[in-house]
Amino acid sequence: MDAAVAEPRKLAAKDYKSDIKPIWCPGCGDYSVLNALTRALAELALPPEMVAVVSGIGCSSRIPAYTSVYGFHGVHGRALPVATGLKLARPELTVIVTSGDGDGFSIGGNHFLHACRRNVDITYIVMDNQVYGMTKGQASPTTAPDWEGSKLTPEGTGINPFQPLVVGLASGANFIARVSASDPINMAKIIVEAVRHPGFSLVQILSPCVTFRPEQQEWRDIVRTAVVDYTDDAARAARRLMTDDGFNVGKVLYKGSRPPFRPEFEVTDGSIAELEASFAI
Amino acid sequence: MAAQSVSLVIAGSGGAGVVTAGSLLLEAAANAGWYALMTRSAGPQIRGGEAAAMIRFATEPVASHDDSFHLLVAIDWENISRFAAEIPLVADSLLIGDPALGDAPAALLRNSPRQAGLAMSEIASSIEGGRPNMVALGAIAGMIGLPVAAMASVVTRQLKRKGQAAIDASMAAFNAGLAAAAGLPAVPRLPAVDSAAREERWSITGNEATGLGAIRGGVRFVAAYPITPATEVLEWLAPSLAKVGGVLVQAEDELASINQIIGASYGGVPALTATSGPGLSLMIESIGLAVAAEVPVVVVDVMRVGPSTGIATKSEQSDLNIAVYGMHGDAPHVVVAANSVADCLFTTQWAVHLAESMQTPALVLTDQLLGQSRAILPRPAELAFIGQRQTAVAAGEGQRYKRYALTGSGVSPMAIPGTPGLTYTADGLEHNELGTPSSQASDHQAQMDKRLRKVAGFDYGDHWADIMDAEAGGGDIAIITWGSSTGPAREALERFSAAGGKARLISLRLIAPAQPDKLAAALAGFERALVVEQSHGGQFHRMLRAFYDLPRQTLALYQPGPLPIGPARILDQLNAWRT
Amino acid sequence: MTDSRDIGNAVLTMPELLAHALAMESEACERYGQLADQMENCNNAPVASLFRRLEDIERAHVREIEAICGNVALPRLAPWEYAWRDNESPETIDIGSVSYQMSQRDAVALAIEHEHRAAEFYRGVADAAPDAEVKRLARQFAGEELAHVQWLRDWLTQMGSSAERGVDDPDPPNSLE
Repeated sequence: MDAAVAEPRKLAAKDYKSDIKPIWCPGCGDYSVLNALTRALAELALPPEMVAVVSGIGCSSRIPAYTSVYGFHGVHGRALPVATGLKLARPELTVIVTSGDGDGFSIGGNHFLHACRRNVDITYIVMDNQVYGMTKGQASPTTAPDWEGSKLTPEGTGINPFQPLVVGLASGANFIARVSASDPINMAKIIVEAVRHPGFSLVQILSPCVTFRPEQQEWRDIVRTAVVDYTDDAARAARRLMTDDGFNVGKVLYKGSRPPFRPEFEVTDGSIAELEASFAI
Repeated sequence: MAAQSVSLVIAGSGGAGVVTAGSLLLEAAANAGWYALMTRSAGPQIRGGEAAAMIRFATEPVASHDDSFHLLVAIDWENISRFAAEIPLVADSLLIGDPALGDAPAALLRNSPRQAGLAMSEIASSIEGGRPNMVALGAIAGMIGLPVAAMASVVTRQLKRKGQAAIDASMAAFNAGLAAAAGLPAVPRLPAVDSAAREERWSITGNEATGLGAIRGGVRFVAAYPITPATEVLEWLAPSLAKVGGVLVQAEDELASINQIIGASYGGVPALTATSGPGLSLMIESIGLAVAAEVPVVVVDVMRVGPSTGIATKSEQSDLNIAVYGMHGDAPHVVVAANSVADCLFTTQWAVHLAESMQTPALVLTDQLLGQSRAILPRPAELAFIGQRQTAVAAGEGQRYKRYALTGSGVSPMAIPGTPGLTYTADGLEHNELGTPSSQASDHQAQMDKRLRKVAGFDYGDHWADIMDAEAGGGDIAIITWGSSTGPAREALERFSAAGGKARLISLRLIAPAQPDKLAAALAGFERALVVEQSHGGQFHRMLRAFYDLPRQTLALYQPGPLPIGPARILDQLNAWRT
Repeated sequence: MTDSRDIGNAVLTMPELLAHALAMESEACERYGQLADQMENCNNAPVASLFRRLEDIERAHVREIEAICGNVALPRLAPWEYAWRDNESPETIDIGSVSYQMSQRDAVALAIEHEHRAAEFYRGVADAAPDAEVKRLARQFAGEELAHVQWLRDWLTQMGSSAERGVDDPDPPNSLE
């Protein structure tokens, strides 16, 4: 749990939004995420200056500019290391990373593995629409192998899709949840829990792309509330996730108890003079 | 420096303990009040391979290796030919080997050096716990004039935990070697020095100096990914940062390192990473992000032979191109280069100051030769450069905070997260003054002008270059160089000057942005220039031609790694021009 | 959701009813505003102005409810503590259900649907309420929502056939990065 301090002044969700108009298509699930995120920040009562939203490249990664907190819009796939450096240098900030399935699991895949391992106290929100929307509709790591809607892979990718929650669990993520963009209130609740839970929190959001995957509109009818509550047993969570069809949403799936990564300081008096003395003859 | 120095090599393989011997010798020389420079070379094996320690001792600070070695002591001959090109011997050189191990290989005999035998293994085996490398050290000490007491104190300290018996055995072997030296041919000797009367001296490598410069400059966050020959910068920083309340984190790759330090710096903490050529290539995209988003970071490149994997353990000055030109788009930033082991400290500390002042990446180019050389040198002076970032504490009355405000200097006050009322989103996308993404031509022009103005208009003072004149002053020959080529160039100039020659040495510390007015002033009246660098493609020369006016008679002297340019080669050209 | 969220009819006290009513109107107002912004952004002017009008109307409803609330101390509820049957407040249009090409008819149909749900919600509260005052007020609110439905239907009729046309866009999507 980071230093999420409840301030006397109470802001509403809209106070956490900037006045910049999102570029997203109407119908995009990311609008729901922006609403839920700002609602969660309001519920957490975090002063806007104590929150940082870090992103990479993609439609989902445009979110920082739409908030009124500190933001960092970096390069493709590298949001997690930026957030890691920021949180380790400024542990009192609440650091949230927003990304998509391409940015997060393709080019960002390696950083994803190691961020889960490192278990720094940040929250990772991944808007998964199983497509690269920003670049006009290519298959992403979570796209089904037989999706033929992309000009780059007209016969489908033919490759097994990436399973982010399974990989995240195996790599050491300390909190795992999946929500649907069609359920923004519950999403807000889970984001609050994710931020409050210490260590690396992973929230996958099924967030339809209305332009390149219009068939995802039916997700709102396919998703179902997960039947069981979260487990703190990684092996049990692994079995559930490995047999999950990807549409069990609305609940936390796993809460671990690994202590978050925090560097140790060893400040001594004399500091730099001591270091220099080690070279003296 | 042209005065008194002696250069020697200790070589051997497997358990010969060459590296240990070299370190002991260096430390003893330090205790004796001498100055020194030590480099090392090794075969590719992780353990047990052949190794050579090359040391130059002098009574004054040492800038560079000599053109040849006075003495080579080979504990054994295993694969020593591998080093032949790096340990040039001349007729006056003395080559000492163990007679029990056969003849010296032909590769070492090309210039017919003097030869002598020293039965190191036989002498060592006659002493309980004696080792051939200690016998060698004794002989070397006797030959070059190193006081016994200096070695005794080093051995005592090094072997204290192994017990008195080990200390006694080592000193017995040393003394046996020392006795044997009496019968060996002479090599140059150095006079004894009253070390107590000396100025304060340090034993330090370029990589350690780089780390210290970072901390002195205010760096308190480092992300680390190991790569030869930069790893020691990070290894030194790991415990050192913790002592001053800083953080070092090992990253999963260089892409993570550079982005972690960008994140930390965005959060207000001066941050640095160190890498070599291949790592810098990986970081280039994100260094461009730091330029566009105006986030200060320092990236140290300890250059090695390229391209690609190249020769990781050897030095070259061939990352200049990527450091200066590597980013896509026009991305003005700062590139500085250290020109000596001591200068690694100054230049890194200065780089932190520059990065923080201008909110831009500063690349520090050092190389394997500087980074992994250990020098006994005068204690470096304290410097006033501490990174100072212009921060925003409040927006103007009734105004929205403009993170990328168009100021005269080009530097805009930066809001640090945690400061109320000044939230903004840093962006690699082109943006307007508020930081809002913009594709407008006027915004791009304005921001590009601003980012250029802030580095081009900065007052770099006198540190842009080190300028050294021959004793006589004046003359019309200028040597223009940078980085580790400066050491041999300095030595060449000293020899030239001692013989009455006149020339000026200009070693650029500020590589980018170019300072054409300053170089023009330094070159005023000089009609001939010799450009010296260690790259196959003449990168430095081409950069000079791109940004500077050079004298009509300019000669470029360049060669690739792995061998350093020797002072004689530079001196030859100076002499050729003198006549 | 394929499973029905069967939480039955909410049993509310007066302050809770007022809190729910206020939340419903403010969230509907905010949502219409967001949708109007989106439609303006995508240059669907007719639907933009329609949502903007609905935003204004809901804002007036908010003021009405605030007047009714008077000095009653309302419970402070987290967004997920409200007794909605659906994912959000019944009067709030699902932000994922719009399209930049939608017609005014589509937009009004959505609004009508949600006013119906709002009426349903209040009817449920009225049926379950043990308190007579709560019953009365809930029924009043239900009636008002149905009046909104009728108003919307009339508005739609007035618009005529032009309201049926969606926005035709022959251009392909853009790629930004």
